Amino acid sequence: MGAVFAKIVSFAMAAIFTQNAIFDRAFGANVAIYASRRDEHVVGFTLGITAMTTAASVVSYFLDGVILPLKYGYLFLPLIYVGIIGILYIIGLFVTWKFFHDTFKKIKKFVHLAIFNCAVIGALFLNAGYGGDIWSYIGCGFGTGIGFFLASFFLNIAHERLDSEKIPKLFRGYPIMMIYIGIVSLAFNVLVGYTGN
Amino acid sequence: MRKNSALVKPDGLFRQNIVLMSGLVTAPIIVAATSAENSIILILSFFMITYTGILLCRFIPRKLVYSIRIVLYAVTAGLLYIPTILLLQKMFPTMSSDVVLYIELLAVNSLLLAKSETRFFLMPYGEMALDALMYVIGYAIAAAAVGVTREILAFGTIFGFRLFDPIVPSARSPFFGFILVGIFAAVCRAITGRRSAERRARAAKAARAVRIYNLDDDD
Repeated sequence: MGAVFAKIVSFAMAAIFTQNAIFDRAFGANVAIYASRRDEHVVGFTLGITAMTTAASVVSYFLDGVILPLKYGYLFLPLIYVGIIGILYIIGLFVTWKFFHDTFKKIKKFVHLAIFNCAVIGALFLNAGYGGDIWSYIGCGFGTGIGFFLASFFLNIAHERLDSEKIPKLFRGYPIMMIYIGIVSLAFNVLVGYTGN
Repeated sequence: MRKNSALVKPDGLFRQNIVLMSGLVTAPIIVAATSAENSIILILSFFMITYTGILLCRFIPRKLVYSIRIVLYAVTAGLLYIPTILLLQKMFPTMSSDVVLYIELLAVNSLLLAKSETRFFLMPYGEMALDALMYVIGYAIAAAAVGVTREILAFGTIFGFRLFDPIVPSARSPFFGFILVGIFAAVCRAITGRRSAERRARAAKAARAVRIYNLDDDD
């Protein structure tokens, strides 16, 4: 049990820091920028993305075992992953609508943004690329969601300053946000030993 | 019969460029557009998956609830990925796995899943086709600009032809992609801002002329 937990944590840590979805792969960078504008969106999007990446990773582990050994299996991966995410999305929406009606009203406007984005499907592709057992899939899926939180949090705390009068008008908002993500991304690269070669 | 040519809005080229202005589709450009060839691959794949996807998804009935429609849009893009990747593998046999990953991600790109609902599908079909094409061309402009700049800086080449020694080898890294897209976004904003200012000045001048004409008429 301890070994399983350690494995999940180590893969999650890798997904959070060394291969952060936003800073290392730019998966869902637009969603992170959108979510970072409001505190409650950071939490809401993180919950949605983490739940989906973790659940979809478990399902994709079993399907990867069938599809990946096939000669042309890779051709169907996007379709299969979209199918997994779509089915989980509809089940999740139905459960929320049935049992948490108030929550459903609050999330229905932007839940699709939290589910159908590059961060979620990208986590599944990365899992397929790395291989590994179910615990590594779960760790990577969970870590991708937490990595998204970390990135959104960094953007959230900088958002007010980056949108302020102190920034030249041409760069205010989106352009300076991208430059800021670039600089944080460089810092994350240094964390894993980037050499520039 | 409505003339589509008169209805073409070039918003997608610069003013609402999906990479440089709204940031709807940025990941492939930031990470995978590291050379001119990669940019061409990304442009072709985007055209084949997203543009064709928009044209096809228009036929999905709007009577279906949005939660189902969005899944069907993504499934359509997932299906379009199959012929796209087969064709690209024939055209570019040495295509890197990094680029392939970002083509796979196009199954859930925001232009198809979000913009189609809020803009394209509210238009007549012909107008929609042209408007969506403008957005795809806007994406192509951004991809080409980023890819060519990074190839020159990172490798000192253009389309593989050697120009000089690499100036900034780190230009192929994602962090440089973010920074470059940020700088290009500011440039794009400057261009569109100047155009808007010119348009406003022209409109004000025309309004002034009309006012003077009306005053003369009163006399």
